Amino acid sequence: MQRSLKNINVWTFSAVIIMALLFLPNLTIVGGIFTPTNENWAHMKEHVLWSFVSTSLILVVATAVLTISIGLSLAWLVAQYQFPLRNFLKWALILPLSIPPFIGAYTYHGIVNYTGVIQTMLRERFGMEVNPSYFDIMNLPGAIFIYTIFLYPYVYTITRIFLSQQSASLIETSRVLGKGPWGTFFRVVIPISRVSIIGGASLVVLEVLNDYGVVKYYGIQTFTTAIFQTWFGLGDIESAIKLAASLMGFVILVLMVEKLLRGRRQYSYSTTKVRPLPLIELTGWKAAGATGFGLIIMALGFFIPVIQLIDWTILTFGTIPMEEFMLYVKNSVTVAGIAATVIILFALIVGNFGRLVHGKMAKLLPRLSILGYSIPGAVIAVAVVTAFIGLDRTLAPVYQALGFDTTLVLSVSLIMLISAYIIRFFAIGYNSIESGYDKIGTNFRDASRLLGMGITKTFFKVDMPMLKGAIISGFIIVFIDILKEIPLTLILRPFNFDTLSTKVFQYASDEKIMEASQASLLIIGISALSIIVFYKFIEKEPK
Amino acid sequence: MFISIDNVCFSYSNTKTAALNKFSMTIEKGEVISILGPSGSGKSTVLRLLAGLEKPEDGSFNIQDNVIFDEKKFLQPEKRGIGMVFQDYALFPHMSVAENIMFGLFRFKKAAKQARLKEVLELVELEEFADRYPYQLSGGQQQRVAIARAIAPKPHLILLDEPFSNLDAELQGKIRKELRDILKKANITSVFVTHDENDAHAIADRIVKLKEGKIEVIGRPCDILNINRQAVVEAVALVEQQDMLSV
Repeated sequence: MQRSLKNINVWTFSAVIIMALLFLPNLTIVGGIFTPTNENWAHMKEHVLWSFVSTSLILVVATAVLTISIGLSLAWLVAQYQFPLRNFLKWALILPLSIPPFIGAYTYHGIVNYTGVIQTMLRERFGMEVNPSYFDIMNLPGAIFIYTIFLYPYVYTITRIFLSQQSASLIETSRVLGKGPWGTFFRVVIPISRVSIIGGASLVVLEVLNDYGVVKYYGIQTFTTAIFQTWFGLGDIESAIKLAASLMGFVILVLMVEKLLRGRRQYSYSTTKVRPLPLIELTGWKAAGATGFGLIIMALGFFIPVIQLIDWTILTFGTIPMEEFMLYVKNSVTVAGIAATVIILFALIVGNFGRLVHGKMAKLLPRLSILGYSIPGAVIAVAVVTAFIGLDRTLAPVYQALGFDTTLVLSVSLIMLISAYIIRFFAIGYNSIESGYDKIGTNFRDASRLLGMGITKTFFKVDMPMLKGAIISGFIIVFIDILKEIPLTLILRPFNFDTLSTKVFQYASDEKIMEASQASLLIIGISALSIIVFYKFIEKEPK
Repeated sequence: MFISIDNVCFSYSNTKTAALNKFSMTIEKGEVISILGPSGSGKSTVLRLLAGLEKPEDGSFNIQDNVIFDEKKFLQPEKRGIGMVFQDYALFPHMSVAENIMFGLFRFKKAAKQARLKEVLELVELEEFADRYPYQLSGGQQQRVAIARAIAPKPHLILLDEPFSNLDAELQGKIRKELRDILKKANITSVFVTHDENDAHAIADRIVKLKEGKIEVIGRPCDILNINRQAVVEAVALVEQQDMLSV
């Protein structure tokens, strides 16, 4: 026991502090369950809670089923068959991920509404006056369409990489044993890729539960919108916390279902000789079908909205003063840059902790601190605000002593927003850094220490240079995710502080869809670029 | 007596059984010790404990009357003055051969650093390779860099983990002799771990045979390995005798 105390050094100390800071705000939510209920909550529980639950459930289940169908079938086509444009589609099919669903949502609304390109064309070119309700997308099925078409790449990418790298001999064995393509697909492909399908689908589900932009814009009542309404509309933070706690319960349920579905059967490859799946050439109508299917999904998820946005940008270019626009860019880059830098620093420290300290606690603690990613933005917003107001109350005497004439300092500053980003996106940075640490192992570190370098010197001279790739890719993913983020930014930003995404959201909400396009395109452009670079980087497909 | 190890016990946190049970031995200066045993016998654990990469449950370890660890004290690996050659060499991929070797020489003055670099490069016969990067070297060359790096700071003791396992059979014989020459020339006390009796026989002054975390026998190669050799000779003789009888 006495010996294990000697493990406490600067590294473990700061790692434990960081993990506590990341995890504790979420406890406010858990604590909120036990506060006495008020009238609002009783009313909500009786009349509307069930409708939030059922709406969220429908959204989640329908989106999961559709993203799996599209993602898995595309993954299988690309992994197993050769058809025209396959090499283009292989990576282009990831691109819809670069369009944040709320941007997709307002763009599609703009395309199909009364003054949009489709109805206008029908009226003016063909003289057809159609019932506008046929084109109403601002409803539950519309939201499901938006989520599906912009989120399916999660399932597609993870499953495709798995299939093309891991499955060659299993699939060939099935062929040799006489199963045709359909038999192989249902009897072998689906079972072996179950873990990656579920992994991708659970990312989709978490995104849907986190989403605020789409449902708010389409006027659909879900947990997330209800939390904000109770909070700001009714000014009732206690009930908002209770709603947030219910949503967290929902998320925990999702995570448990995921674990259950993955089960103990973690299929991993039994040999280390991994070879790529040889492609089967498709011809005739089959080839045309495969190419057509890929192109349709591609067009719906990327080209159509992007072309529409370009069109709107050309129409409105100059209406937003460049100076103002550059301010939003600067704000976005600043907050995303600071938060991503802090996240990577924290991840490096926590990841190193996992390597320095042995035992179950060392494995469990980092797991707890990455829960933030599964917790929806609305819940984190409630937790962070509660924590910061409490902090300001505690610090009030200090503020007075310093001569401030207000008691709210931290809770109206950028620090609050950045802290919320860090809690929410820590997991993403951490995963990248952790896999980097896993890849380099502990021998280099041990070698350095045996050559006389302490832990800290070793970290800077050996670990950091070897982690360069993981650090860069982790930073990029976190940065992009923060750039696109909506609910946290909307709620926690200081007064009059706008980023690209809050501005997009505001314009769209004010029915100034066209004005929103310029900022949207910039967000999409940066995301698309980094997605392409990132996937080219992590997957160098053997030729 | 140069190094003494007394009653060292250790078990990994995920198992109940002791990985090492009351391990004791003494080592003289300049001696080459081989720890021989099948996988799971605890031989790598001995190295990790001596290096400071694991913390013992009990026991003590002294070099020249300096306590490295006992019940009260535990010296961190970087303070021990012990060098180690890892099984996979662990050469820093982002540093050249010279940078790798000079990594542990941060306490040396600039001129002394260069001189020591030259000295160890000569010792391992890699003078022309100073500016190469690890990936530009063959397996045998990488190993010699790892040895040079470990002995450069003039450690009291050098540990080698399965030094021949990553080399092909043809190289092994050549490298065994080279390694013994290098160690003897540098007059460096060393402990190396192997599962191959031939390695132990070729290099070691003394051999420690481990079985299930306990020392089975300690002795000179000719004494220990002869026991087995004797058995082989007898078996062969028996077969020959039977052959003769059957004729």
